[in-house]
Amino acid sequence: MKVQVRNLRKEFGRTVAVDNISFSFDSGHVFGFVGPNGAGKTTTMRIISTIEEPTSGDVLLNGISVCEEPELARRVVGYVPDTLPAHADITVHEYLDFYARAYGLKGKKRTQAVEAIEEFTNVAGIRDKHLKALSKGMKQRVTLGRALVYDPDVLILDEPAAGLDPRARVELRELLMLLAERKKAILISSHILTELTEICNGVVIIERGKILETGTIDEVLKKSAPRRTVAVKLLASHLHQNADLLKELLQTPHVENARDVANEIHFELSGDEDAACEILGALVAKKYKVIEFRQTKANLEDIFMNVTKGGVQ
Amino acid sequence: MKLAAIKNYFANWREWEMNPIVIKELRQGVRSWTVTGMLLLFLVVLFIASLAFLITSSFDVNANMGLGGSMFKVFLAILAGASVFFIPLYTAVRVAAERQENNPDLLYVTTLSPFRIIFGKFLCSAYITLLFFSACMPFMAFTNLLRGVDLPTVFFILAFLFLIVCASNMIAIFFACLPASRPFKILFAIGGFIMSFWVVLPVVISFQFMESGIGAMMGRRDFWIGTITTTGLVLMVTGLFFVLSVALISPPSANRALPVRTYLTGVWLLTGLLAFGWVAQTGDAERMTAWVYPTFIVMMFALLVTISNHDLLSQRVRRKIPQSQLKRFFAFFFFNGAAGGLIWVAAILVITFGIDGVMNKHFPRASYPSTFAVEGHGWYVTTGLYAFDYALLALFLQRKYFRHRPAKLAGLLAVLLAGGWALAPGIFLFFANRLSWKSIDGFQPGNIFNVFSLSEGSDQMKHQVTAMIWLVVMLFINAKWFRQQVKNFQPPPAVENVPPVLQ
Repeated sequence: MKVQVRNLRKEFGRTVAVDNISFSFDSGHVFGFVGPNGAGKTTTMRIISTIEEPTSGDVLLNGISVCEEPELARRVVGYVPDTLPAHADITVHEYLDFYARAYGLKGKKRTQAVEAIEEFTNVAGIRDKHLKALSKGMKQRVTLGRALVYDPDVLILDEPAAGLDPRARVELRELLMLLAERKKAILISSHILTELTEICNGVVIIERGKILETGTIDEVLKKSAPRRTVAVKLLASHLHQNADLLKELLQTPHVENARDVANEIHFELSGDEDAACEILGALVAKKYKVIEFRQTKANLEDIFMNVTKGGVQ
Repeated sequence: MKLAAIKNYFANWREWEMNPIVIKELRQGVRSWTVTGMLLLFLVVLFIASLAFLITSSFDVNANMGLGGSMFKVFLAILAGASVFFIPLYTAVRVAAERQENNPDLLYVTTLSPFRIIFGKFLCSAYITLLFFSACMPFMAFTNLLRGVDLPTVFFILAFLFLIVCASNMIAIFFACLPASRPFKILFAIGGFIMSFWVVLPVVISFQFMESGIGAMMGRRDFWIGTITTTGLVLMVTGLFFVLSVALISPPSANRALPVRTYLTGVWLLTGLLAFGWVAQTGDAERMTAWVYPTFIVMMFALLVTISNHDLLSQRVRRKIPQSQLKRFFAFFFFNGAAGGLIWVAAILVITFGIDGVMNKHFPRASYPSTFAVEGHGWYVTTGLYAFDYALLALFLQRKYFRHRPAKLAGLLAVLLAGGWALAPGIFLFFANRLSWKSIDGFQPGNIFNVFSLSEGSDQMKHQVTAMIWLVVMLFINAKWFRQQVKNFQPPPAVENVPPVLQ
């Protein structure tokens, strides 16, 4: 299943919520959709889920256009909105059963699908509980279950981790990884970027309706943060060597911005890993008592802070 | 192909399942304290009423042969009150709760069509109505044993009331679907509560039926004509609110206008034929007003909605525009868009007024024609012209000066302009201390309400001339926009078709 977003544009009166964006992702991929509030993430997700129609452009779900064939597209896309279900007087099982019916599952097939999804999302134990009585985390599971009950190939998750406690977040992350293994194409928006780095293969960074960065996580990291940061720590009894080390490093080729950070020397290295090895070798040869030499990679959060300005339309 | 699909549908009857919305709503209904609480209260009231009747009649020395009838009347009033007040309100609250912006999942993300969603809601309300009726049944059956009411009357009245409650439920669903904020919806609910007092009418009619006994009336032709007409009217109103509700919950990109305009055209044609038959049978042209006035009122609302349509057609709608010129010509009237809608409203009104005029020429008037029959023709022609004037002026202002505002502003502008111009002279004269009867019933050009309060008959003609000149000006200033709309009404250019991989 290939999801292709092509030149998507959405206007609300004079406001351009989404401005000519294009990206694509595939089965088994978890794609992060990142941007400040009001960047156009939810609008894009609603268009992919056929809820909104774009002003121009299109989204193709394995060739099925969400504008041309929204009814067909709805059968392959599962949408988890950023709001939780608020239906009164209905149990978890009835809620999931209703959606299975609404998507045309019948008889035994429906019963099996609902039971399987209750097991998968770990809500079987609370299937007879009223929806309103559930915690936020549990409601989030039920919403995910609802989106999965008819086994769609594409999942669109809008802020699924918002407001969840750490345990629920870890469980959600595990669920998403399992879904990716089941060859679902997943687009997920979240403000918890460290988590996205762990589960996403690719990322789209969007601001003011425009794409700032897109690609696989490694590509984006490489593109946006080409220098590696290295931290060097000396043995506690040799901390007095820090000043000499700092001077030494400042004179070394490929090294920039060397500074003392809480008794550790941090510097930026413009070369590759071989260059890092050479520097470590040189330090040891010059009798510096190095106890720790590590590279600190830039993460999605650093890139997000670098490329976005926090603007909304 | 279609026949094969129908055959296949009936061959797989074992796989038929009830509308998912009905199942969900009924599950929620039986769990809800509101429904069970109301049902219990209803039963308690019925029980107390029965006890009160039996205890008071036990003191009566003479045998009361009409006790069953009296009890039935009270039960009927309780049932009517409970069903017309409670069930539409409950249905509307449920729909409105799901239409809230913070709870978007149900109505938009499933593959259920808007038609099935509204039908499910309607069917569920009908089931709850049946639940209340069946709870009342034992009490009503008991009244038959006490004499004073015959079984055909009981069944007929219950069927009549059921129809009324179903229509009320449908109207309630429509109001709940309106894209209004919560305070407006509360206002609608209060308005609906007040309007539901019209239940008194069917109850009074039912009492009259009881007096004469339905069994005795069943042999008469007039009874069946009246019954079929009333049933037809209630069904038409229910159908109208049904298609309106479906249009309201359809996505903005859908061709919302098509089912509504098609339905209204169909009903207009059918009722027109019936009115013609009625006039031909009785020879009284005044009977046409039963068709002309409702058509006029509905078309005035349609005019407001039409000018509030967007000019830009969505891709989904454009995809359905026929390639054939003839088909496209007809599609223009029925598809989304203000221009086509205006022509559609104008065509229906012109044909209606024309037919009414022809009928008035060919069929003699009744000996004592009503004021409506004598002056009505002039009233609605003038009012219709003024309505178009204001609509086209509002359309022009919105498209020219408020292009970036929502198109529905045009409808609001038309109402404000017409209302403002009708009230402004009166307010001015009041503060100038020159307000008099003469200033009210004298000729006031452009005042849509002044048409009905003229003291001089000749002023009607002045209004018509004014409205006509104004209309010509409005047509002229909107001509460019209209031409553009006709030009834009084209199917999208053909693109390479990517075959879907879905099975």
